[in-house]
Amino acid sequence: MNKQEQINKLVEEALNSVDDVQRAATKPYLFTRINARMNKGTETFWEKVGWFIGRPAVAFTGLCMVILINAIVIMNNRPSDSMNSTELAVQTQTDEFSYTVATIYDNENTQP
Amino acid sequence: MNQPELIVQLQQGDEAAFKKLVDEWQDMVYNTALGIVQNAEDADDITQEVFIQVYKSVSSFKGDSKFSTWLYRITLGKALDHEKKKKRKKRFGFVQSLFGGDGVEQIHAVEFEHPGVQMEKKERANELFSALKQIPDNQRIAFTLHKLEGQSYQQVAEIMNTTLYAVESLMSRAKTNLRKELKNYYNNSIAEK
Repeated sequence: MNKQEQINKLVEEALNSVDDVQRAATKPYLFTRINARMNKGTETFWEKVGWFIGRPAVAFTGLCMVILINAIVIMNNRPSDSMNSTELAVQTQTDEFSYTVATIYDNENTQP
Repeated sequence: MNQPELIVQLQQGDEAAFKKLVDEWQDMVYNTALGIVQNAEDADDITQEVFIQVYKSVSSFKGDSKFSTWLYRITLGKALDHEKKKKRKKRFGFVQSLFGGDGVEQIHAVEFEHPGVQMEKKERANELFSALKQIPDNQRIAFTLHKLEGQSYQQVAEIMNTTLYAVESLMSRAKTNLRKELKNYYNNSIAEK
C-alpha cells in the first residue's frame, strides 16, 4: 500500500469512527446541581449593567461616540482665521459711517 | 404523563415536572454540547445553563416546533456562545502571557476523547474531533447533530431552521473540509515518522 492509499484509508476510518457512537451521559445529580445554581441567586442590576457595558460591541460603539462628539465640539469651536459675513458687514458699516462717540475732546480739536 | 402535559405543568412552575424534564433530556443536551465544545466540564456547565434557560423561558414555548427542536436550538446557541467566550479568554490569556502572566496554559487545547466512541476507534475519533474544530460552525453543527446525535437530515434541517437541500450541502462541505484537514494531518504525521 503506497502512502496516498494509506492516508485515504486513515481518513475514511476517522470519518467513520463516530458512526456507531454511544450518547455521552451527564455526571450524576445534575438536577441537584441545577437547583443549587438556580438558588445561588441572579445577577444584581449593576452586574448586568457592567456586563452590558463590557460587551465589545457596546464598549467600542461608546468609545467611537465619545471620539465623534469630541471631534464635533472641537470643529465647531475652532477660531476662524477670517471674519464671518456678519462681522464683516458690521465692520464695513462702522468704517463707512464712522460710528464713533463724539467726545468733548473731538469738538475742541477742530484743527486737522 | 405525555410531553404536552409535562410542558403545561412546567409552564405552571411545577418543580416535579422540571425534574422529569431534566431526567428525560439531560443526555441529549449534554451530548450535543459535548460534541460542540469538546470538553466534559464545559458541556456539563452548558447543560445546566440550558435547563435554567428552559425553566425561565418555557412560558414562551408556543409549540410551533417540537419541544426537542426548541431544546436543541437553545443548546446549540449556548454551546456556540460558550465557544466564543472561550476564544476571547484564550486571546486574553495570550496577551497576559506576553506580559509575563500565566495565560500560556489556556492556549494549548487538551485533546478530546468522546466517551461514547468504541475503544478501537478512539484514536481515529480523536483526530476527527480535532479536525471538526477547524471547519465552519454551521457545518460542524450539521455534522454533530447527524453523526453524534443520530438526527436525520430532515430533523437537522428543522433544528437549524433551514431546508433539507441546505443540510445536504452543509454535510457534503463538512465532509470535504474534514477530509482535507485529516489528509493534511496524516501527511504531516507520516512525514514526521
